[in-house]
Amino acid sequence: MESSVLFLLNTSYAVLTLALVVLGLAIIFGLLGVLNMAHGEFVAIGAYCAFAVQSAGLPLILSLPLAIITTGAVGWLIEASVIRHLYKRPFDTLLATWGLSILLREGIELAFGLEYRSVSEPVSGSVRLLGVDYPIYRIMLMVALLIGFAALYVWYRRSNAGVRVRAMIANPQLATIVGIDTQKLARLAFAAGAASAGLAGAMLAPLVRIEPFMGIDFLLQSFFVLVVGGLGSLEGLFIGSSLIGGAESAGSTLMGGTAGYVTVLLISILFLWLKPEGLHARR
Amino acid sequence: MRVADLSFPVVLALICAVPFTMGEFTAHQLGLFLLYGIVAQGIALCWGKVGILPLGQSLFFGLGAYLGGSALIAYETQPVVLYPALLGAILVPAALAGGIGFLVFRRQVGSGPYFSLITLALTMLAYQVALSTDWLTGGFNGLSGIPSLPGTDPWTNLYWVIVLALILSTTVLLWITRSPLGQLFQAVSENELRMSFLGYDTAKLKALAFAISAGLAGMAGALFAAQQGIVTPQSLSYLLAGELLIWTALGGRNSLIGPVVGAVLVGMLTSELRNTVQSWEIIMALLFIGTVLFAPRGLAGLTERFLAPFAQKTKTDRDDLRTVDRPLVPASLRFKDVNVSVGAVNILRGLTLDVKKTGLHCVIGPNGAGKTSAFNAMTGRLPVTGGQIHWKEREITNLPPHRVARLGIARKLQVPAIFPDMTIGQHIDIGLWSTGLTVSEMLGQRAFRRRNEILDVLHDLFPVLGDESKRAGSLSLGHRQVLEFALSVIARPNLVLLDEPCAGLSTEETAELTAAIRQICRKFEISALIIEHDFSVIESLSDHVYVLHQGAALSEGSLEDIRADTTVQAVYAGGRK
Repeated sequence: MESSVLFLLNTSYAVLTLALVVLGLAIIFGLLGVLNMAHGEFVAIGAYCAFAVQSAGLPLILSLPLAIITTGAVGWLIEASVIRHLYKRPFDTLLATWGLSILLREGIELAFGLEYRSVSEPVSGSVRLLGVDYPIYRIMLMVALLIGFAALYVWYRRSNAGVRVRAMIANPQLATIVGIDTQKLARLAFAAGAASAGLAGAMLAPLVRIEPFMGIDFLLQSFFVLVVGGLGSLEGLFIGSSLIGGAESAGSTLMGGTAGYVTVLLISILFLWLKPEGLHARR
Repeated sequence: MRVADLSFPVVLALICAVPFTMGEFTAHQLGLFLLYGIVAQGIALCWGKVGILPLGQSLFFGLGAYLGGSALIAYETQPVVLYPALLGAILVPAALAGGIGFLVFRRQVGSGPYFSLITLALTMLAYQVALSTDWLTGGFNGLSGIPSLPGTDPWTNLYWVIVLALILSTTVLLWITRSPLGQLFQAVSENELRMSFLGYDTAKLKALAFAISAGLAGMAGALFAAQQGIVTPQSLSYLLAGELLIWTALGGRNSLIGPVVGAVLVGMLTSELRNTVQSWEIIMALLFIGTVLFAPRGLAGLTERFLAPFAQKTKTDRDDLRTVDRPLVPASLRFKDVNVSVGAVNILRGLTLDVKKTGLHCVIGPNGAGKTSAFNAMTGRLPVTGGQIHWKEREITNLPPHRVARLGIARKLQVPAIFPDMTIGQHIDIGLWSTGLTVSEMLGQRAFRRRNEILDVLHDLFPVLGDESKRAGSLSLGHRQVLEFALSVIARPNLVLLDEPCAGLSTEETAELTAAIRQICRKFEISALIIEHDFSVIESLSDHVYVLHQGAALSEGSLEDIRADTTVQAVYAGGRK
């Protein structure tokens, strides 16, 4: 009983953070049509931010703003220097971002070295939940994430910025004509996508092994979520994250890491075959 | 002879000179990167020629290495079993790639990121499997103590086997590039939709290219096992796949030899400098991004400029006259209560339409009536949500585009769809071949000499088609319309769907094209269904007119009947909605 509750809580945490990673990828892919192969590296940068904060002896919670700022800035720079030239060339964006992922990975390696790093959770305080002790830090983050997603949903549906973003997706040229600065919007979107991956990275840092090559798994996982959930809706994003995150953690708990990976891959290929648009496609 | 081919003899001479001038140790090193070069050549075939980007080519390299390594260990002394087993190291990866490719491409039209990421994921998976199945692959430590090929030594004469393998792979790829198959590959990369409307199964073509590249990777892998004597999961790693991609890009993805040069130069430099120059990998990544942004043809693109004056163009005469041999069946097309909805919009609402006679038929109707959508529904471009479409007593509802085309329904799109970087002659070839090529025709040169009676008539009508070496992308809109029209009738379909064939043409051009449509369709008994707004076209091309309105049939009959029809007048004059 206790172990299954713990499994459930851990899975929820994994699913929520995965959803945050995917959100970033979906923003960039959905709005800009760029499948950002360097997305995983933003998660890694976020995790290294957490490591840096803890090494400096500061409270871990500070890693969250640091990760957002760092990855947001890197994303901004990348959009301005590379991606900007490639919007009409989807094939080349794939390659260029793949190159960027190598660049970022090597950059991380240069700064922090190849060895595995870890971040320990703030020990102070756990809360008794459904009969198990669970770290209060994670509970807080889960609640914050849920609120964040709900707010995002409302904002996207209601606000002016949401309308402008949707206009840009529907018809970039027309959006420019009616006075929307698509260039600025695109840059913002890219930075926001990067920042949400960075934030997820900082949140995941206590749970994972931190090393320069950690990004690729996140990239593939979030890509699979997009395959399953479809592009363009938060509902699809959550269903996809739950399915992929759940399958991964169930598979690896029951049968080991490779089995989890195989399960996820099979689910994704099945979806690609049977429902190529995903569960909740926009069109 | 293409420009890019000219550098091969030079490169080959240099490669052969290495053991004598620089010693056997360097040759051994070079051999390894020549093997990687073979894999890169395969990547270039997929990426440069067909327009699909495999991100996990190390999967097939590693698979070939493991299979080859196991075969060498198990059957070292039994050549009768060893050589077939080594052949398996080529065929198994090829079959696997073909299967994966077909599964993915059948569902994903276009060559977007899905295919690339799935290949990457499969590589990651294979790496995990190789790490965790100790009993099969030796786990982390891999397979070791692999003997070299019988009668060879990895430090001396195995080098020549590798050089032979490189010659083999270059020859195979050169052969493909110059064969009709290569031309079809290029056409797929330029306009996949056009290809499927001509009846080509593009999923199969792309899967085939992927399989060929995987077979080459497998061959290189097996030789890698023999040369290195050890195979570890590193050979399957996505990092290797990434490096292979970088070498291909820097060497030149459109070239045959460029990728080999890229692998050798960059790869060997990397292995030299990786440990001494700290930021080497960063320099490589920047170089790669720069190449993608500013020099997509890589190193080969630079040398091509110097070699261009030496290239000679060969022109084949079309002296192989074929009779058009589709069976003559009267066109009979039936839409029965066809519904098409996209999202909340109902485009076709119970469209019922019957085309019974051979002849020229016009489809008219105000904007949004569902004319083009009817064509799309018929040719597998829009999913039919209700009702049936029959063609010659056969149900074709929701068949994929290429299957519909194979049944004798050709299509010309509203905005002319052509292959911009290919010549007029190549367009004609592709149109003529769309009735089907045998395997030997696909790989031989004979098919380039084909012509048929329709082509002769087209040549008379449109002199521009005689300029076969002209690039289609440089044609005017009028000539593009002509070219696509030629493409869609040249194989003599039973029925050709023409979507505003004269859109954007001048009055004279319109008259010319209209006359040509009449003449060709009458002479070769091709029925046509023509969407038009221009009444001068409708007047000369309509045996029968169908009027569509708001997704359903409103009226039909001869032009006079339609003109007299009050409901039609009401729709056009805005009297009634």
